[in-house]
Formats: sequence, structure tokens, C-alpha cells
Amino acid sequence: MRNKDVAFDNKIKSATVVVTAGMILLFVCLFALMKKQDFSEGENRYLKQFPEFSFESLREGKYTEGIQDYLTDHFPFRDVFMGVKAETEIALGKRQINGVYIGADDYLIEEYQAPQNTDKIVGQFTKFAQSVEQANISLLLVPTAVTVYSEKLPALAPVESQMQTREEIYGRLGDTGILLVDCYEDLMKRKEDHGLFYKTDHHWTTYGAYAAYEAYCEANGIAPVPVEQFEIKAVSDDFRGTIYSKLNDAKLAEDTITIFENPANKLTVFYQDTKETSDSLYNYEYLEKKDQYSFFLNNIHPFIEITNETADSDRELVVIKDSYANCMVPFLVNHFRKVYVFDTRYYKGGPSAFLNENPSVTDVLLLYNMNTLDTDLGIGGIY
Amino acid sequence: MVFSSIPFLFFFLPACLLLYYVVPFRVKNYILLIFSLIFYAWGEPVYIFLMLFATAVDYTNGRLMERYGRKKKTRIFFLCCSVTINLFMLGFFKYADFIIGICNDLFRLSIEPMGLRLPVGISFFTFQTMSYSIDLYKRKVKVEKNYFTYLTYVSMFPQLIAGPIIRFSVVMEELHRRAISWHDFVQGSLRFLQGLFKKVLIANNVGELWEMIRAAQAGGISVACAWLGAVCFTLQLYFDFSAYSDMAIGMGQMLGFHFPENFRYPLSSVSVTDFWRRWHISLSTWFRDYVYIPLGGNRAGILKHLRNIFIVWFLTGMWHGAAWNFILWGLYYGVLLAFEKYIIKDRLSRLPSLLQHFYAVFIVVFGFVIFVFDDMGQMGLYMSSMFGMAGNSLTGTDVLWYLKNYAVVLSAAVLLAFPLYPYLQKKAERLPQTGRMILSAAGAVSYAVLFFLTTAYLVNDTYNPFLYFRF
Repeated sequence: MRNKDVAFDNKIKSATVVVTAGMILLFVCLFALMKKQDFSEGENRYLKQFPEFSFESLREGKYTEGIQDYLTDHFPFRDVFMGVKAETEIALGKRQINGVYIGADDYLIEEYQAPQNTDKIVGQFTKFAQSVEQANISLLLVPTAVTVYSEKLPALAPVESQMQTREEIYGRLGDTGILLVDCYEDLMKRKEDHGLFYKTDHHWTTYGAYAAYEAYCEANGIAPVPVEQFEIKAVSDDFRGTIYSKLNDAKLAEDTITIFENPANKLTVFYQDTKETSDSLYNYEYLEKKDQYSFFLNNIHPFIEITNETADSDRELVVIKDSYANCMVPFLVNHFRKVYVFDTRYYKGGPSAFLNENPSVTDVLLLYNMNTLDTDLGIGGIY
Repeated sequence: MVFSSIPFLFFFLPACLLLYYVVPFRVKNYILLIFSLIFYAWGEPVYIFLMLFATAVDYTNGRLMERYGRKKKTRIFFLCCSVTINLFMLGFFKYADFIIGICNDLFRLSIEPMGLRLPVGISFFTFQTMSYSIDLYKRKVKVEKNYFTYLTYVSMFPQLIAGPIIRFSVVMEELHRRAISWHDFVQGSLRFLQGLFKKVLIANNVGELWEMIRAAQAGGISVACAWLGAVCFTLQLYFDFSAYSDMAIGMGQMLGFHFPENFRYPLSSVSVTDFWRRWHISLSTWFRDYVYIPLGGNRAGILKHLRNIFIVWFLTGMWHGAAWNFILWGLYYGVLLAFEKYIIKDRLSRLPSLLQHFYAVFIVVFGFVIFVFDDMGQMGLYMSSMFGMAGNSLTGTDVLWYLKNYAVVLSAAVLLAFPLYPYLQKKAERLPQTGRMILSAAGAVSYAVLFFLTTAYLVNDTYNPFLYFRF
């Protein structure tokens, strides 16, 4: 190599190092200057605070670990960097990131893994059925987008069959007297008309809930309220849900939240944990926040009591559920004077005790989606 | 604190370097020492005293050996003191539960395991301090009179927790006198960045794929997929480990030290013998110089040679962790090396070079499957998938799906595992001047882009393991 090149090469190398060192110092300065946030909207979680010193936590290594988490969580432009990472991975051909498939038509679809807890789940449902005598119990296990919109998954994506798991559970519950409701066909029938699942969230849309509501009504001999009788309106068009948070890439799509309202209903909604009463099943404040799905039934509550004076029967319904039910309850209230909603992840005491103390309850609906049924184990609390 | 993390990269390292450069030379070692102790105490607030104790023992032994060691017997006495204490410490913290387990199985006892957590880097720093005592005994190094200088040598943060195992003789002079130059700073920084990119962008990504395939194995995977998994783990271990060495060598150079190379493209080997000349060189030469050669090496007849090979490879395996699979892995290499030496001889080198590479890579990849499973049952299951004995098909959509998702990273990893970069550099020298200039400018831009990407990956740190906590 000639001298001139060597000199040029050395200059370039020096420049590279200077630029990198400059970038490092710049970020350190920004870190010192920028205001720290407590909450990450993008990831929907609280960011780590600077740890409190104690000799104990130092000895256990928790103190220094806490500092590390704090420094990483409050790094300048964290959201931008997360988007850059997701974009890079997609550009490099990755179609499964953090358990999310990057599907066709902007669909982000949560993966479904081989079930681990089928025995436990069957056991819980069986014990529950044995302990409840007075009411008709329906079980509705809802397949998620990974099943209903499987054609939108990236080619070759390895997916366990949710329907196979559901058939196994339904099969083993055959002689418990539980009414096993199938909403798969109804979802498949309507999946082209409207988006039945959000593109950026793991929940179904109100359209998805309506399809399952019809299946539930048919199985229980109830005449569902026809679509035309509802006032259908879009309440948000900038929803980015939990799946979005796993990627945090600002280039991804936004969802619309639609609701079906029955203007005839006269509702009283009582949240037992906060002792609040409302006349609506929705909390509009959540539409201003990140987690807009919480708009339905005011986010998470262990126990909600809903009274509808204009319901078409005097029957009373207990709903034991995960968050999928939150946008289906608005349909169910049309047929039950009282609806009691239990989130068994948080309700302590077991709804079966409640049922035995309240003989007026005529119906029970157990509603879970196939993903959280196995991973979240909220059903540990049903009995 | 791992090197590839936001706290280290943006806070610890800049603070250390800034202070280190501004203070006068006689204080530099103390700055380095203080930062090294903070670095170690950061992850091991309790076991740091163990390291301080180990260094104090070897320092004192060294001084005593020098002072009273005119006779060979006294020298041996102090050497034995040092080696015994070091080996006892290593044995106690690393192998106690393993040995208790064996005793329980053999004699049907039920001794409670002690459940001690392994002090990070203990296998590295005990080997370093032992090399000092042995070299001092052989009068290959001068005694270190300043305890803090000796402690600086052992605790120096670039190499403290994952090597390379740097011998005292290598840095003895630089500990007392070294030039700090802009040139070294630039070269060292670039070397550090290369290591950082290798770790974050390649090792972590192929590692993630390996973890996925390993998890999928329980549900059934194709033969091709199982082999892809084994290749991924091989690539992960190589890129992770050699990246740590790159970063250590780079930071050493930034501080004015010149550490020897630890990896020389081991995955491009042509035989098992060749592989061990290229993989973790500081460890294999340690065992060669302090165990194999003192035992007589290959100069005392076949039987003794075989015995020596057996001992060295048993120990090499065991050094990697207190579990049977590591011992098995070591012996696997012992057997293969003896086989190459006495049975295959030079027949291998007469084969087409492609076949030689294929043979070496096959042995290495298979070896790392032994290495990665410390549960023999799991290992058996995985191997049955690799050889189609789990009722699995030869190939399937699974392998295509993984290849599709990781095509770019895997291709980059495979290419970079071979000495392609030095080869291209040589080729580039023959380009006309403007071409060379464009290339070095493009190199600079890619460093900046890769650094930006690395930061993005580190901020969103979902998979960033530290593989050497067992060593």
C-alpha cells in the first residue's frame, strides 16, 4: 500500500472512532438532560425507577442490577430504537418476532404454542360443573386470529392447532353436563365481512364478539338481537394494542374500535372493587390512553354487577371469563336482567361459592380464548 | 455487567477511559484497578473478597519464594502452597456439589449439596494466578513487588470474567511501562466494536434461533432442523466467545496493553488437531505448558503419551463446567486427537480440502451438542432427532421456516466464521487508489450504521445471555 492510502486509511479510522465516541457521549449527555418518564406508552408498562439503596440489596446484587435496568429503561429515544430494531428484523426477513407473526394485510398475529395445561384445565371445569347445580353452564372457547385468519400467516409458519386442543377439552367434558358452544363456524362465516380480530392487539373486535354471541344464543335457545337494531359507531381509529407493544414500530397499522349500542337499554354497572357505579359499559377515558381495549368494561375488575331493566328476560347470568368477554357482555345484557362478571385471575373466593349463595342465577357462561386459557391460567380461580 | 449492555457501553467504559487518560501515568494503574474492582463487585459484591484473597495469596507466595527461595525445596514448597490454595478454591466453589452428587450416588449417601453459586470468572483468574506462581518458580518471570500492580493484573476488567487467560509474562513489562498512543486507541476501539457487533448482531441472533429449535425439539423436529440447531449453537458459542476476546483485546489495546489472540477462525479448521490450535488458544496453551509438557508430553513413549492426552483432555473438559457432559466432551476430543495422531496420521491431509473442512466441522458441531446439554437424557433425545431415530422425517417445513427467518444472519455468520475478511483486505490492496479510498470510507460508514443498530438491539434487550458463568 502506498503511503498516501495508509494516511487516508488512518484518517478514516480515526474519524470512525471519533464519530462513535461522539455518539456515545451525545447519548450520555441526552440521558442526563432529558426528562425521565415513568411509564412507557409504547410498551404499556412502568419503567424501572432508580433503586433505593440498602446494604441487603447491594449484597444480593439487586442494587446494581436495578441501576442497570434503570439506565437501559431510560435510554434516550428508546421508542425510536425499538422501532429501528423491529424494522431491521422485518427487513432481514424475520416473520416471527417476540412471539408475533408478521402477517399479510398488516395483521400482527400472536403465536399459539403447544398446550401445557390441558389436564388442569379439564379438571377445573369438571370440578366447577360438579359444584354448581342450579344453573345451565355453557363453555365457549374462542379460537384466536392465528386460527381464524390462518391464511394471513407468513408461509411455512409452524402453528399448533387450537381446534385440536379445543376438541380434546370439549371431548373430555362430554359427560359433565356443560353445554359446549362452538363459535368457530360462525367466526369463519363472517371473517371476510369485517375484521374479527384487531391487527395490533390480541383481542377480537366487537364483530368477532357478535359472531360468537350468535353462536351462544343459538345453543341456548335465545333469539339474538339482529345487527340492524344496534347503533354501530366507530369510537377510535388510532388503536395500537398489546401486540404492537411487542414490536413498537411506528410504521405498523392502526386499528378501529367499533361498538354496537342498544339505545333501549337502561343499565346500572357496579364495580365492586372500586365501589363505582356507572350507566355505561364503556369508559371513554381509556380511548385517550394507550390501552384502548380497556374502554370495554372499564379495564380489569374482579367482580362487576350489571343490571338491565329492559332485558328481555328475568334470567340472571354469571360470566366467568378473560378479557375477551369484555366486548361480548354488551350483547349479553340484552337477555339477562342481571349479569355478574367474574375475572378469576383477580377474584378471590371462587365464583362457585357465589353461585351457591345466589340461587336466582339461572345461567353460567365460561368464556376464554384459546391462547390465554393455557398461558394465563385464570381458570385456576374458578373453583 | 456484560460488555454488550447499555450501562457498560455508555456509562462505565467512557467514564473509565476519560479518567484513565487524564491522570498522569503513575496513577493510571490505580484508576484501572479501581474501575476493575467496581466492575467485579458490580456483579459479585460478595465474592470479590475471594478474588482479593486469591491474589493476596499468590502475591505473598511470590514474595516469599523470591526472598527465601534459594533452595529448590523451599521454592517447591511455596509453589505447592499457591497451587493447592488455588485448586482448593476452584474445587470448593465449582466442583463441591458435583463431587457430593457422585459420592451420594456411589455410596448411597445423602449429603446435602452446598448450593454455592459459582463466583464469576473464578476459572479464569485462578488459572492466571497459578501461571504466575509456576512461571516464578521456573524463574521465567520477575517477582512483582507491588501488591496493587499484581492485583491490577489479575482483576483487569477487560479480561477478568471471560478471558483470554493472560499470563503474567505477557503483560509484566506493560504493567510497569507502556505507551498510550492514539494509534492504539483507534485500533483498540475498532477491535472492540467488531467484537460488540459480533456478539449483539450475530451471536445473540443465532443463539435465539438455537433456543427456539431446542424448545421445538420436544414436539418433534426434522433431522435437518436438528442439525441446523446444532450448527446455530456452534456459531453462537464461537461468535459469543470470540467476540468477548475481541472486546477484551480491543479494550486492552485502548489502555495500552497488547494481549495475544485467543481465536484464529477455528471453524475453518481442517482437522481436530488444527481446531484446538485455533479455539480458545489461551486455554489450550495453558494446559499444554502447565500440564501436558511437565507430564512428559509425547516424548516418553506411546503409552505415556496416551495417558497425558487423557489427563489433559479430562481436565480441559472439566474446566468448562462441573457436569459429566463437559468431561465427556473433553474426552471426546482426547480420543479424536489420539486417533488423528496415531491412526489417521497424514492420510487426512491428502484428502481434498473441502472434505477435510467438512470432517472438522462435523466433529466440532457434534461435539458442541455434547457440550450444550448437561442433562444426559436431553442430550440423548436431541441426538436421536439428529440421526432420525426419533421417528422424525429427514426434512420438513420447520427447517425452511427457520432458514427463511434467519437467512441473512446465518449467511453472515457462516461467511464471517471463515477468514473472508482478511482475504478481501488483501485483494483490496491490489485495487487502484480511488477504489481503496472508497472502500475505507464505506468501512467507516458501516461501523457507524452497525453501532446504531447495536444500540437499538441493546435498548430492546430481550435475549442477551452471558454464556460463561459456568466456566
